[in-house]
Amino acid sequence: MRRELGMFVALLLMCGALWVSNPSFVEQANRFYTSRQIAMLTIYAVGIAFVIITGGIDLSVGSVIGLTGVIVAKLSAPPPGMRLPLVLGIGVALGVALLVGLIQGLLITRLDLQPFIVTLGFMLLLRGVSQTIALGGNITITDQQVVTLSGGGTQTTHFPALTHYMDLVKGGLFYVHGTPLLSWPVLICLVVIGIGGYILHYTVFGRYVYAIGGNRDAAEYSGIPVKRVETLTYVISAGMAGLAGILYAAFIKNMDAQHGQSYELIAIAAAVLGGCSLRGGEGTVIGVLIGCMIMQIIDNGFNYFRIGNWVPNENWKAIVNGAVILVAVILDRTVHIVQSKRRTRRAGLAAASPQPTVEVVSPGAA
Amino acid sequence: MNTVPLLEMRGITKRFPGVLALQDVSLHLQSGEVLALMGENGAGKSTLMKILGGAYLPDGGEIRIDGSVVSLNGIREAKRLGIALIHQELMLAPNLDIAGNIFLGNEPRRFGLVTPLSRTRMNAAAAALLRRVGLGLPPTTPVSTLTAGQMQMVEIAKALALNARIIIMDEPTSSLTAGESQQLFSIIHQLKQDGIGVIYISHRMEEVLMLADRITVLRDGKYVGDLDRAGASQDKIVNMMVGRELSGHYFPDRPAPPPIGHPVLVVNGIIVPGAPAPVNMIALRGEILGFAGLVGSGRTELMQTIFGVTRPLGGVMTLDGAPYRPRNTRDAIARGVYLAPEDRKRHGLVLPMTIAQNTSLPDIRNYAPLGFLHRRKERQVAEAGVARLRTRTPSVYQKTVNLSGGNQQKVVLAKWLAMNPKVLILDEPTRGIDVGAKAEIYRHMAALAAEGITILMVSSEMEEVVKMSDRVVVMRERRIQGILPREGLSQERIAQLMTAKVARETAA
Repeated sequence: MRRELGMFVALLLMCGALWVSNPSFVEQANRFYTSRQIAMLTIYAVGIAFVIITGGIDLSVGSVIGLTGVIVAKLSAPPPGMRLPLVLGIGVALGVALLVGLIQGLLITRLDLQPFIVTLGFMLLLRGVSQTIALGGNITITDQQVVTLSGGGTQTTHFPALTHYMDLVKGGLFYVHGTPLLSWPVLICLVVIGIGGYILHYTVFGRYVYAIGGNRDAAEYSGIPVKRVETLTYVISAGMAGLAGILYAAFIKNMDAQHGQSYELIAIAAAVLGGCSLRGGEGTVIGVLIGCMIMQIIDNGFNYFRIGNWVPNENWKAIVNGAVILVAVILDRTVHIVQSKRRTRRAGLAAASPQPTVEVVSPGAA
Repeated sequence: MNTVPLLEMRGITKRFPGVLALQDVSLHLQSGEVLALMGENGAGKSTLMKILGGAYLPDGGEIRIDGSVVSLNGIREAKRLGIALIHQELMLAPNLDIAGNIFLGNEPRRFGLVTPLSRTRMNAAAAALLRRVGLGLPPTTPVSTLTAGQMQMVEIAKALALNARIIIMDEPTSSLTAGESQQLFSIIHQLKQDGIGVIYISHRMEEVLMLADRITVLRDGKYVGDLDRAGASQDKIVNMMVGRELSGHYFPDRPAPPPIGHPVLVVNGIIVPGAPAPVNMIALRGEILGFAGLVGSGRTELMQTIFGVTRPLGGVMTLDGAPYRPRNTRDAIARGVYLAPEDRKRHGLVLPMTIAQNTSLPDIRNYAPLGFLHRRKERQVAEAGVARLRTRTPSVYQKTVNLSGGNQQKVVLAKWLAMNPKVLILDEPTRGIDVGAKAEIYRHMAALAAEGITILMVSSEMEEVVKMSDRVVVMRERRIQGILPREGLSQERIAQLMTAKVARETAA
């Protein structure tokens, strides 16, 4: 929990500094916007955390997010979409996401392929699939279709289902000044955190996930169905990415093949910031949430941070982002080294103090 | 001690988290001398040698070579001073050839790292070194094709390539055949002639008494004393190592005529992958069936087949009369067949998890009737295990990585005992465990057998095999050479079957 606590303190300091530098950071409009971004990131970061804790990696997440969005748009949006029922579009998109996770999981566990390579392959492949579906252009999700009639007038068709769908990222509960205090994505995210945290920390499955990440061989020798559990983690990761993809599509609306690119790297960075180790066996859902908050608040805070009239250069965003990750892991490691040194010294003293008397026997000639 | 010693270590102290590994230990070595370093597991031999090899920095004390103080900070520095450490687990790169391994990290490089490797020069130099160690193989042979003995020779050649003056050998014969060991001994004699000082770590008394000019004994991280060859005897060494007379209390009394139980596990014509012949054996209820053999004799592989890790290529097994065909470890565990593996850290425990979590791991479904983990039950079962085996730990929430070898083994045992074993396979149950914990584990084994549990015990410690087993299965080159009853069991009889070629007829 050391990493989680440290990151939580860092998060509070960051928010405090942003608030002091620019009070509009905590205004309702920005709270709504930022919490929604954090929520959508957290949903799929929790999924990827399952994979990371078993010691694997999933690079296909961003492509899955892109693909689900494109599928929803293709199936349910007005032309160039196919105007099929929205339920079908979402159902197929989620189904495809789960299937992708299953195939990846089976390839990794049954053929003993490396997760990095398999998911890298799917990252590239799915990107191409999205591009093919979008025919290289883009499909816009909108709730009305305007058709020019032969007589010269226009006729507008409305799609109430799509209106509700797009409201998914605008609406919520407890409205303040016209925006909800708890948006639907935040509520969905809370449910994901609740269920994900419960599974990871309180169930047999969760224990298996940690055991596999801690020592795969020992888990095998303890009779754990290692391959099945590992496969499932990839299904979970892809499924969560699909869920996030559906929300992102409602938010971004304009679906093209580039949508979701490099999202997986942000999620991996957030998970590591929050205490997951890429070696496996470590990490908590709360930590992942904190990591996601930090990633998104840096992103958003950049637009708000100022000292007097000085505003940071927009181009520095990526530099700051990368530096925060590096500083976090360096600090964490340093604290760890210092602590274990101190423990060694203390243990040495403790072992040395109750000194039993030893007689030195030297039989034979010296 | 007429001259300045080649090597002198004085007052060496080393601390690790939770232990004082070495306390004021001293040792000296003349050139052309073979010094045996002896002590029980955990006595501090390996730590002392790792300090000498530059892998650890001591917390106190000084090291002198040729009388002048040196600081061995780093393996490279130790090598530069002519100290070569040959590890028990050989450290060769299997993907390189012999010459590449001999000069690994020691490549001739005039222009730093970008110097092109001169294969011809390396091969010529390697060939000369191989002649010195009596290994008649071309230097371009891939190391992955060598036997354990040949790899040992390559390690020695590697030490010679560094112009080593001090060579440390850690259990060099543990994986060698008798013939290979003989060859190693003659090389050691050759090294002596060349004025090289050899520090020889071994548990095998006969070897030590035959090879060593002098013996230094450690116990619990402290220097106990020196014996010279003339004054040394097995009894004296053991007394110094253990600090007390080894008496009958060390091994529990086993019932004189072994109990005659009904067959529990019947192995009939099982073909272990890689084995030349099928295996037949029967394990009875309540017996301790010992498995003796050299490293690589196929004992561990047979156990893994019984435990469902690897599937046999043919044959049948029955358990309590019913067919037993484990497809994986889960099937074996479901039938009450458990394995405490040889390599605890790799196969036995999830080290970053706690004692409680490790104890419940194989049986975790029974801790979660509705998928929700019952943590109080987990704690109670783990605490019962700790109490039963007297595991030394502050609490069951201690991570197993922080436990000593003996206590780790107790956690592995506790996790299986909590599940009422029918057949318990113990692969090297006391390897890396201190004497006190050993005696406790023997007592538990005897008690479990008396309860009717069948124990299959793979062991490379002869005394353990002879004292604990009701019957002994002797294996050699992946075949069963013979099954010896308790009466007339002796170390000599087992050793004969383990090593001698003539014995094959008795088995056939």
